[in-house]
Amino acid sequence: MRIWYKLSLVVIILFFFVFPWGVKGAVLYLDPPEVEVQPGDIFVEKIKIDTQGENINLIAADLKYPLDILNALDSNLGDSIINLWIKPLTIDKKSGTISLIGGIPGGYSGKISGDPGESDCLGSIIFEVPGLIVKKNDSSPEIKFLANSRVLLNDGQGTKANLILKGAKIKIVSKRKAKLKNEWKDEIKKDTLPPEDFKIILSRDSNIFQDKYFIVFSALDKQTGIDHYEVKEGKGDWQRAESPYLLKDQNLKSIIKVKAVDKAGNEKVEIFNPQKSSNRREGEVNRQKNAFSRFSLLLGEILIIVLVGVLIKRAMV
Amino acid sequence: MVQDFKFKTQEEKEEKIKEMKKFLLTILFILVGLGLSLSPIFFLYHSVKAESLTTSVYVIICGNGILEAGEVCDDGADNGTYGPSISQRYCNSTCDGYAPYCGDGIVQGIFGEECDDGNNDSGDGCSATCSNEGAPSPGGGGAGAIIPQPETKVVLKGLAYPNTWLNILKDGEIVKKVKTDETGEFRAEISDLNPGTYSFALWAKDKSGTKSITYALTFQVSKGVTTTIQGIILPPTISLDKTELHQGDLLKIFGQTIPQKTVEVRVSSSEIVKKVLSNKNGLWNLPLETGNLEEGSHQTKARVWLNKKEKSGFSQVLSFNIGKAITKPESPCSKSDLNKDSKVNLIDFSIMLYWWGKHNAPADLNGDGIVSLVDFSILLYCWTG
Repeated sequence: MRIWYKLSLVVIILFFFVFPWGVKGAVLYLDPPEVEVQPGDIFVEKIKIDTQGENINLIAADLKYPLDILNALDSNLGDSIINLWIKPLTIDKKSGTISLIGGIPGGYSGKISGDPGESDCLGSIIFEVPGLIVKKNDSSPEIKFLANSRVLLNDGQGTKANLILKGAKIKIVSKRKAKLKNEWKDEIKKDTLPPEDFKIILSRDSNIFQDKYFIVFSALDKQTGIDHYEVKEGKGDWQRAESPYLLKDQNLKSIIKVKAVDKAGNEKVEIFNPQKSSNRREGEVNRQKNAFSRFSLLLGEILIIVLVGVLIKRAMV
Repeated sequence: MVQDFKFKTQEEKEEKIKEMKKFLLTILFILVGLGLSLSPIFFLYHSVKAESLTTSVYVIICGNGILEAGEVCDDGADNGTYGPSISQRYCNSTCDGYAPYCGDGIVQGIFGEECDDGNNDSGDGCSATCSNEGAPSPGGGGAGAIIPQPETKVVLKGLAYPNTWLNILKDGEIVKKVKTDETGEFRAEISDLNPGTYSFALWAKDKSGTKSITYALTFQVSKGVTTTIQGIILPPTISLDKTELHQGDLLKIFGQTIPQKTVEVRVSSSEIVKKVLSNKNGLWNLPLETGNLEEGSHQTKARVWLNKKEKSGFSQVLSFNIGKAITKPESPCSKSDLNKDSKVNLIDFSIMLYWWGKHNAPADLNGDGIVSLVDFSILLYCWTG
């Protein structure tokens, strides 16, 4: 009988220890997985993904960090594989949470064989260890992914990918061994390049802004990432803005300037003259086409109703 | 013969029953354990998966000084430098040949050459240093002194459909259009790049105007080198002659791919795998008997095999109904073009952003009542740039 107990024990051990490793799915993880820091240090944790062969296109991640021993200072999206952001890496310093929602048009299947770079990074978080820490003895500090984090497959249906989450352990050492680290400062210093060239697209659609003219723009910065955008219409002042941006001058007489500023303060300004824009003409043509097709449809409907009416009347006679 | 269980004492009987109960409990315990252990496997087996698209793609970095497959040479930082002789020639900036050198048979005045007879022999009218014999040597700072600034660029190489225009997207925006040759081969060069991580995607329309999926590759571009992505295979296009049919009807599944290659067509929910050869124009056609298919909704997709090892990723997944079905099959991209300009791009993304989290909005692509993650994922899948 003992043999049965032994066998069942083996099966249970297999379940808890062996099979979870065999489960295939995308892995969201932090790099480095373990960091040894001392009070006053500033260090960078990278959020990375290993798709394990899956073709994914959307990542929505939520993380929690221990507020008592870490301050999240900033984020860097310069090395991110994500091109479109619904919610760029956002830090909530009150609750100690970090979240991001972004996507890759056409999907992402992982690093290509022979690629020497870190083409699996979603973004970086810059943490600071306060100079004075009230350390709780029982705590084992960790930056964790929350269970509601999601990765969706690039299958046209938004199917959820199987997901494995791996956070990072923080080890605080009190004795000063080496010089204080400030990895972020070094990154900022290195970034002397402005953001990439980008386009300003003028559009008008009945689906948004009550059919008024708006512009869309999206810049990327391959070093420290985009910090913010500013828009200037004609002789007006520069104002912080986001895409889509509803134009104040709906007569389209003002020249529009959009400035993308990266985390290191480098700027790229793109200029757009709505008077010379083909978008405007295209938009008008589209609108005229739409109006014409709507009118044709209405005319067709009226004709059918009249025809049916006539037929009924004749049949009655 | 029936064995009769007889126990000598009541104690022995109780002992045996106890042992039996223990045995049964252990069996139950093992079965539960096994069930729990194997559940992840069953779960994975039944889960929907988008298979990897990068089956044969690999990166070659021209400028790292390492001779990789597909490169003729790689002289690292010296790539593109003028060579003063055949033995001292350098690789060109794309590593598919050599940079100008004295002895290549082409007179390059820009590098101080007065002549070039294709060798480095003196006494034949053109000297070993490519100057006219009898005339003074170009000397000084001429040949070899000009070092061009190495460019940061990307070269994409692969196969799509014959004689079609391929749209190349950089970080979601169309940057180039290149035409494939009659074999479906293409080569696209994108320069003026800053070093960093880029996502390059490509898509094409086949002969009948059906769009392929948008195939994306993300990789690091290093400063001053040419990064070549080799072995790209654009998945086939796929179309159906009808989407609602009766059991036993003939369904025509067709599309375009690389000429004279095997196309694997899969029909899920019945796990049918059929193979068909594309013709010299890359067109393929599979007539499918639906007599064996159950009533209900089915899905089909295709991929192309170059040889026994190399294959493309899967095409778009198309749905069709046999008999009565609750929902009408619909292409996932039919609603993604929110502003109806025949493109799925930044404007559609902005419209989605405007409606994000709102109920019953125009950007609700999957019709679940709210604009959320699934809608964004569908938009990204249908992206054209």
